[in-house]
Amino acid sequence: MLKPILLVEDDKRDLELTLIALERSQLANEVVVLRDGAQALEYLHRQGEHADRAEGNPAVILLDLKLPKVTGLEVLQAVRANPALRSIPVVMLTSSQEESDVLRSYELGVNAYVVKPVAFDRFVSAIAELGVFWAVLNEPPPGSLKAARKHE
Amino acid sequence: MRPPPPRPNLTNVPLPLTLTEPQPQAGSRALEPVPVDLSNCDLEPIRVPGSIQPHGRMLVLDGGSLALVAWSENWPDAELPAALEAVRGLRLPAMPPGGSPVSLGAMSLAQNFFDVSAHRGGSHLIVEFEAASPPGGNEAPIYSLGRVFLPRLQDAATVDELCCLAAREMKRLTGFGRCLVYRFDAAGHGEVLAEAAEPGYDSYSGHHFPASDIPRQARELYLVNHFRLIADANYQPVRLRANDASLTAADIDLSQAQLRSVSPIHLEYMRNMGTLASMSVSIVIDGRLWGLISCHDHAPRFLDTATRLACEHLGQLLSLQIRSKESNGEVAERLELRKLTLQIVSHLSNSDGTLQHLTSEVSLMLRVMRATGAAVVLDDEVWCVGDVPARAHVQELAGWIAGLGVEVYESNALAAHFAPASQFVDVAAGVLAISISQVHRHLILWFRPEIVQTVRWAGDPQKPQSLVNGRMHPRLSFASWVEHIRGCSKPWSPAEVGAAAELRQALIGIVLRRAEELASVASELGRVNKELEAFSYTVSHDLRAPMRHIAGYVDLVGQTEGEQLSERGRRYLSHVKEAAAFAGQMVDALLDFSRMGRSALKRRQVDSASLVEGLVRELTRLEPQRKVEWQVDAGLPALYADPLLLQVAVRNLLANAVKYSRTRSLSRIAVRGIRSDLGDGLEVQDNGVGFQMKYVDKLFGVFQRLHQAEDFEGTGIGLANVKRIVERHGGTVWAKGEIDAGASFGFILPRQGPDNGEEHA
Repeated sequence: MLKPILLVEDDKRDLELTLIALERSQLANEVVVLRDGAQALEYLHRQGEHADRAEGNPAVILLDLKLPKVTGLEVLQAVRANPALRSIPVVMLTSSQEESDVLRSYELGVNAYVVKPVAFDRFVSAIAELGVFWAVLNEPPPGSLKAARKHE
Repeated sequence: MRPPPPRPNLTNVPLPLTLTEPQPQAGSRALEPVPVDLSNCDLEPIRVPGSIQPHGRMLVLDGGSLALVAWSENWPDAELPAALEAVRGLRLPAMPPGGSPVSLGAMSLAQNFFDVSAHRGGSHLIVEFEAASPPGGNEAPIYSLGRVFLPRLQDAATVDELCCLAAREMKRLTGFGRCLVYRFDAAGHGEVLAEAAEPGYDSYSGHHFPASDIPRQARELYLVNHFRLIADANYQPVRLRANDASLTAADIDLSQAQLRSVSPIHLEYMRNMGTLASMSVSIVIDGRLWGLISCHDHAPRFLDTATRLACEHLGQLLSLQIRSKESNGEVAERLELRKLTLQIVSHLSNSDGTLQHLTSEVSLMLRVMRATGAAVVLDDEVWCVGDVPARAHVQELAGWIAGLGVEVYESNALAAHFAPASQFVDVAAGVLAISISQVHRHLILWFRPEIVQTVRWAGDPQKPQSLVNGRMHPRLSFASWVEHIRGCSKPWSPAEVGAAAELRQALIGIVLRRAEELASVASELGRVNKELEAFSYTVSHDLRAPMRHIAGYVDLVGQTEGEQLSERGRRYLSHVKEAAAFAGQMVDALLDFSRMGRSALKRRQVDSASLVEGLVRELTRLEPQRKVEWQVDAGLPALYADPLLLQVAVRNLLANAVKYSRTRSLSRIAVRGIRSDLGDGLEVQDNGVGFQMKYVDKLFGVFQRLHQAEDFEGTGIGLANVKRIVERHGGTVWAKGEIDAGASFGFILPRQGPDNGEEHA
């Protein structure tokens, strides 16, 4: 079974557009949608509402930079600080290319940093590329489920 | 009130009290005068002449025993013992040593009536006998002084007026032909302030003479003995005799004696000048010889005791009045200067506080220091009012004064301290300067011209007259005074120097306050700027999301519902999409612009030739269908710049040239290198649509466009970015153009130097 794509996005329109883009990229992965950073951390740590979810990390986290409660950068920091989560690819989605945010994201170990294009077709292709690259094409770290399955 | 009527022989001098035949007394001898070196007046022993004037007689007694020490030769043998006896029989009043003579009353000796006075000089009691004046009673001259003269004196408004009154009164009192009041300046030079003269007397009004005209010891004597009379310049001195062979003239101090014989040099001078009688009363203020009341007559003239006392009294009244006028005057002067200073300060407070504004109030600026010229020097700039030296001289002087490191500098003989000033004594023999800053050369200077020039402007006070063969002569004196004061201006008074110091404090206050205000404005500006950038970033960042949503949903509508829409509906939708896309571009451009201002400059030497080459390649690739003839100078200069930002700027200029020349069948774009004193740069010229020069200032503004969006696409932020980048490098941009005749845009960046190293935004 494919690991899910974790999409953390608070804006409902961006969320809808992102989902459409993912749909159009025809990825088979399930997309788990969370609306703020706190929920994302609960999901990742299998706490609170997500305490009884199935074990396993998502294939990729598409993380909006600006999120209520816990920001994208803080989620990223928490992920990289946790040995169990550290290897999850994280893609930062943002509305602008503010240098300090980019810099900080890379310092915290982001895998990609994407400025959402204004034009919808470009937005779709950007999301599709990301999904394909991280969810499907990217070689997972050795020892992960996918790596194990490869040799089944 | 008239002085005693002149005698028929045209002189009122009593006959000399000499004997028809000198009668040498057994054992006595005349006192030898102290040897005189006539070449130097300053050494002449005027206090101990050993002789007296002949209009009276003298006894010199031992101060304790009243034993006879010396006597004037003009005592007849028969009268001497009687005189001695009469004096010893008197009840002597208290006479402090060194005090003025005290009247001992009238005395009759062998049918002669004498006014007798005495004083103590050294260990001696000096008794003087002069021909008695007629009894004055209530009409005595001294009474009229109090009754008539004093009230007038009190009404006088100025020192000059006081002196005029005193000159007239003194002349009336004494009957002398000419009476002068003059004042000594700090250096001892004299100036005639008032004159009362009869016809036939030369006028010395406004006359100046050098300090050297009055020898030092004479000046000192004027301080001790306030009254001096020379009744007849042709007199034969009467020697003093003594029995004690060891006694010399030097042993008998005649400083205070009315009858003291004066310097033969002075008598010679008087005769040369045709002045046979002279009299003077000292004006002493606070122990200083302020001036003299000086009277002359062509004929010999004697003053009786009563008149003499009145003269001395007049001198004292005048001294007191001058003293009070001067101290009032100084207070008034300080008040006036304070008023003017405040006016200047308030004038400056109402301006932007920069010192050069001082020069816009010309008359105030000059009046405050009673100067004829003034200058404000702020580092390399000079602002002048009135008569001033050439700007280069002002600068040189300001530099010299600044180098002295003093807050206030004043000199009324500048050239003596600062040699180059000799070139401009006509406008600035004297300077008063205040230094406003320890760090910068910020000075305010006031100038006064050479006083000789001023006096000459007022007219030579001395009519030409034939020179006489005398040592001193008014004409020679004036010339000599001119030499003494050459290169000097009128001195700066303590009140003026004080006012300058006060003004300095006030100006520093204003300048500091302005600096603080400026600093706070600057920091406020910086804060507002930062806020604006943060704002523009936030706005554009937050605007981007709705733009994206509009574009996204419009696309989705078109894709999902396009077929159900009418043709018109689809057209409307495409407009919405374009508008959203354009708004998105503008927001992106604004974000870029904002980033341009915020990112730190990382400067290094950039090879602009390869930069341009790369960009030309890129632009050609973007529009392969365009025919562009590139003319890029060989050897474009290396530029000291942040490579990324420089690339943005140059790309903008090249892309603009390509864009605005696309209506030409063949675009010609030239890239030239610029090398100037200010730095190096590039200029890009095209043969495109150009622009009107009157809009040149708008070109570099954010979102300013000179063309319809239909004609030339773009957000209108490109040149604003160029300007921002160039200016952050400390450089300048320019644009030249003409409608339909192409345009050229260029910039210059400063070369690498100590002032433009690494910088952080």
